[in-house]
Amino acid sequence: MSIKVLQTFEMENCKAVTTPMSTSYYMSIDEAGTAVEQTKYRGLIGFLLYLTASRPDIMFVVCLCARFQSSPRESHFKAAKRSLKYLKRTTFVGLWYPSHSPIHLVGYSDSDFVGCKLDRKRTSGTCHLLGSSLISWHNKRQACVALSMIETEYIAARSCCA
Amino acid sequence: MDDFGLHVSKVPLLCDNTSAINLTKSQIQHSRTKHIEIRHHFIRDVSNGDCEVKFIETEKQLADIFTKPLPKDKFFLLRNELGIVDSQNLS
Repeated sequence: MSIKVLQTFEMENCKAVTTPMSTSYYMSIDEAGTAVEQTKYRGLIGFLLYLTASRPDIMFVVCLCARFQSSPRESHFKAAKRSLKYLKRTTFVGLWYPSHSPIHLVGYSDSDFVGCKLDRKRTSGTCHLLGSSLISWHNKRQACVALSMIETEYIAARSCCA
Repeated sequence: MDDFGLHVSKVPLLCDNTSAINLTKSQIQHSRTKHIEIRHHFIRDVSNGDCEVKFIETEKQLADIFTKPLPKDKFFLLRNELGIVDSQNLS
């Protein structure tokens, strides 16, 4: 599937990168940037969202890019295409479920430190592991503006058990 | 899960903030916690029964990969921990 995405966006010969997103890059609304065709951007997000079903490693960047679908700019498109460069390097990567793993359910919850400076909302991420296999994961921008780190972690923990 | 013959009593829920964990355990109201929406206090009901909120160091927090862009080494480490591996390296 990821090969098909690369072909659709004519990125078969792109340079491969090791991570889906640069740590220094901050995604903003970028009103001054050149506008990108909305259909094209949404198409790419749609492809990537489909891939998150088996590739949780690109979950964060896809969810971040999907927030700018209403008025996509060149910079947003570039960030989304970086995840394609990552996919090129990791085409055969997927979830591995070993047959002899212990049955032991664990939940993890975490939140970031004001990931979206635009509306000061934070992102919570949770995942559940059964033994050593990942069975459920989610990434969500929190609905309310949290006033403290405790509050965000508390909300993230709640979304983990709900 | 009982149908599969698996009995899970208390699911550990790992969180990397001790203050948040303490908040789930006590019913104390504090000036800073009074704004938290009521639906989020659901965890207080659950943490006494089905799950147990525990502490984990930030380095071992696997959910980190879903919340922020990570540097290469950390990203690879968490990716392997989550069981996302290259099928070409398996055989």
